[in-house]
Amino acid sequence: MSFLELSRLSKRFGPVLAVDDFSLTVAQGELAALIGPSGCGKTTTLRIIAGLETPDAGRVLLRGRDVTAIPPESRTVGLVFQNYALFPHLSVEKNVAYGLRRRPRRVRRRRTAELLRLVGLEQHGSRRPHQLSQGQKQRVALARALAPQPDVLLLDEPLAALDAALRVTLRGELRRMLNELSVTTLYVTHDQGEALALADRLAVMHAGALEQEGPPQGVYSYPETVFVARFLGRANLWPAQVLEVHDGRALVRAGGHTFSASTRDASPGEDAYLFFRPEDVQPGDGLPFLVTEAEYQGDRWEVRAQRQELEVLLYLPTASAPGAQLQLSVPESRLQLLPKGSAR
Amino acid sequence: MSPRRSTSWALALLPLAFLAVGFFAPLWEVLRQGFQDQGRWTGDFLRTVLADPYVRHLLSFTLQQALLSTALSLLLGFPLGWLLTRYSFPGRDALRALTLVPFVLPPITVALGFVLFFGHAGYMNRALMSALGLAEPPLRLLYSLWAIVLAHAFYNAPVVARFVNVSWETQDPTLTEAARVLGAGKLRAFLTVTAPALFPAVLSALALVFVLCTLSFAIPLALGGAQYATVEVGVYLLARVYVDLQRTAALAAILLGVSLLLTYLYLRGGGLFHTLSVGERRQPTVPLVARRRPWRLLWLGYLLPAALVFVGPIGAVIADSFLRAAPGGSSPTLHWYALALSPDTSPFLGASPLGSVLTSLTVGAAATGGALILGIAVSAALRTIRSRALETLLMAPLGVSSVVLGLALLLAFRRPPLSLLPPGPWPLVLAHMLIVYPFVVRSIRPLWEALDPSLVEAARTLGAARYTAFRSVELPLLRSGLLVAGALAFALSLGEMTAAAMLSRPGLNTIPLAIYQFLSARRFGAASAMATVLMIATAVAILIWERLGRAAVWEQR
Repeated sequence: MSFLELSRLSKRFGPVLAVDDFSLTVAQGELAALIGPSGCGKTTTLRIIAGLETPDAGRVLLRGRDVTAIPPESRTVGLVFQNYALFPHLSVEKNVAYGLRRRPRRVRRRRTAELLRLVGLEQHGSRRPHQLSQGQKQRVALARALAPQPDVLLLDEPLAALDAALRVTLRGELRRMLNELSVTTLYVTHDQGEALALADRLAVMHAGALEQEGPPQGVYSYPETVFVARFLGRANLWPAQVLEVHDGRALVRAGGHTFSASTRDASPGEDAYLFFRPEDVQPGDGLPFLVTEAEYQGDRWEVRAQRQELEVLLYLPTASAPGAQLQLSVPESRLQLLPKGSAR
Repeated sequence: MSPRRSTSWALALLPLAFLAVGFFAPLWEVLRQGFQDQGRWTGDFLRTVLADPYVRHLLSFTLQQALLSTALSLLLGFPLGWLLTRYSFPGRDALRALTLVPFVLPPITVALGFVLFFGHAGYMNRALMSALGLAEPPLRLLYSLWAIVLAHAFYNAPVVARFVNVSWETQDPTLTEAARVLGAGKLRAFLTVTAPALFPAVLSALALVFVLCTLSFAIPLALGGAQYATVEVGVYLLARVYVDLQRTAALAAILLGVSLLLTYLYLRGGGLFHTLSVGERRQPTVPLVARRRPWRLLWLGYLLPAALVFVGPIGAVIADSFLRAAPGGSSPTLHWYALALSPDTSPFLGASPLGSVLTSLTVGAAATGGALILGIAVSAALRTIRSRALETLLMAPLGVSSVVLGLALLLAFRRPPLSLLPPGPWPLVLAHMLIVYPFVVRSIRPLWEALDPSLVEAARTLGAARYTAFRSVELPLLRSGLLVAGALAFALSLGEMTAAAMLSRPGLNTIPLAIYQFLSARRFGAASAMATVLMIATAVAILIWERLGRAAVWEQR
């Protein structure tokens, strides 16, 4: 049963259509990540769910109840803001207890202590927000949002304000806590690494609309559009022409060579893109390419190689220098055909 | 219209309704009196007034003194701003804090100080007579254009200094350094980099000083008399001394036009006063007293006479409040304070001195409370609805001369609905509320605008209704701003004399009016004691203002 359901939401700000006929369902206990480039409408979607924006069209259903017209304070939704929005005049404890004001004092105290323990800040209850590090602030914000036991937890780029090393550490911590609580969560981010690492399910948003959704591995390995292919990870995309289609596989021509790639709905004669990931490229035998650029990355070399108009990006474990020749191949199962029309 | 939008309009309606009854309707009544004859609209009164040579004299004198006062304020104030920015010396912070004094020092105490210090038998003349062995007082300054101009400069030079100091201090020092590295000498760097950046601030300060001097009341009233009267004083004299309602209203209409125009121009130009480049670092300072740089001591040539002009009058007031003329000199006494706080009706005041003090305190407290509520309501409305028209309406009292406001309320309280209020100092409370609430708005609005909107949103998602979020999140965060605004509002109300002069009646007297009445009756001791009490109350308010004002800024960072 869908726990949170967004049905055909639209929201316009002046000339900008921020959210465009957007639908998504999240199941109970699921951690879904809403991912897209900045300005794609994902924060607006989150704010609509929280009740901080009113959609122009569409509905928000929470446990089957239509909450579209309900003010934010009457929805059972917790929101962790990108800048955390901790109340500067209240201590950590009082920040966490803020959402528990209607509960009896005993419950309030117990629940606050419980959450501070969960986020590992039981020693810091009397501190003020300005005395905390960024990572601690993030944990207070999480504890505060969780305290009233919301049906759905919304996280708006919760790690974006942190520096790179801390981001990775806190990502692991966040996953541990969210797993422990198994609270239904919608996580908004523009960082593909975060989304892939945390989410049970991924929804890629582009220009206000849903581009593709599914489990992270599925979306990463089998993008349906050029946008998703480029946005999640790195992509090799070769312009190709479809020759014939048979049983979900297409014979295509690119750069003077013929390849066989999987396809969903290509038809003969149309232009498309041949797609494969850099990590699918195997050196050894195959077509000869000339190395044009090689960049050392520490754990590997990132190499660009060319053969006439075909350019390929691949990773190599050992050094390679411009001018060197490489024989390259891609397993046929990793070659996919993506429709050209989606290249926005 | 979405439900949220309609609530915010309802919010704007409350202060609008209040202003409609307490401000716009009374003003309309003034215009009606000035332009209607037996129900017909007419320009006759306006024409009569404009043809009147006395009114023409008032208008030209007002302009003349305002221009001269502005020029002298610049001449005295700019060097002070420079000194405060570029040099370090003991007492610099105290001196900087003192530049705030004129914002809240009641003008009547300045006028009193000038009479005591520069007057015919004042300290200055007595000192010169004994030093030079003269038989006649050499200075004949009072009851002239120059007395008014000098008092205005005393009042406004610190304003100029403050603007210059703030603008200069926040200038990015790397700009001058860049100019120096590019080969500019000190002078060229000042002329090509520093001065152009200061220009908007100076212009803005001069505009403000010009507006303040044009609409000044207590100083020309006390130091100029009927001959050297400004338009403000003219309206007061016509209304309260000659009791000529139609001519008063017509002149008030002119004054209303002038004050609205000046305020409009000042606020329009206010966009100029944006510091162009705020630096990370503060401007570096050099010590004023340095062995290798003896020429810096030339500053003393400015500081000493300036100190005489600034400290002399205030010192004279305080000194005279403790002195009593005795054979062969004067002796210390607390007699004047006993008189200033006496519960017996004084023949000079038409009320008891103690009664005047209590009225001032009550009116001040009530006006402050009212202004805080009105100020919050107006700020809240302006925060949710971004409309220039609404802002103009809600801030309109800022642009109305106090004497016109006093006249409007004088007329309005003679008829319903305002005449239905129970007896009390309501007209004065309302007048002071209207005069000070724009300052409340100005001190809390920037704080409120700077508050992260996601704080309220966070409160909402945690189950707080809009009002609860305001009470539990916004109000506590605005608290220091409200305290500052409250202190400022109270100080302004205590010192306000213009509307008070228009609205006073037997039994309703305030401290500034009592000072003026004692001064007119040449009871200098009693006037000084009252003025000292007023200055102490004001000084406490300034301290709160300066201290908390800084704290409020820090909290935001």
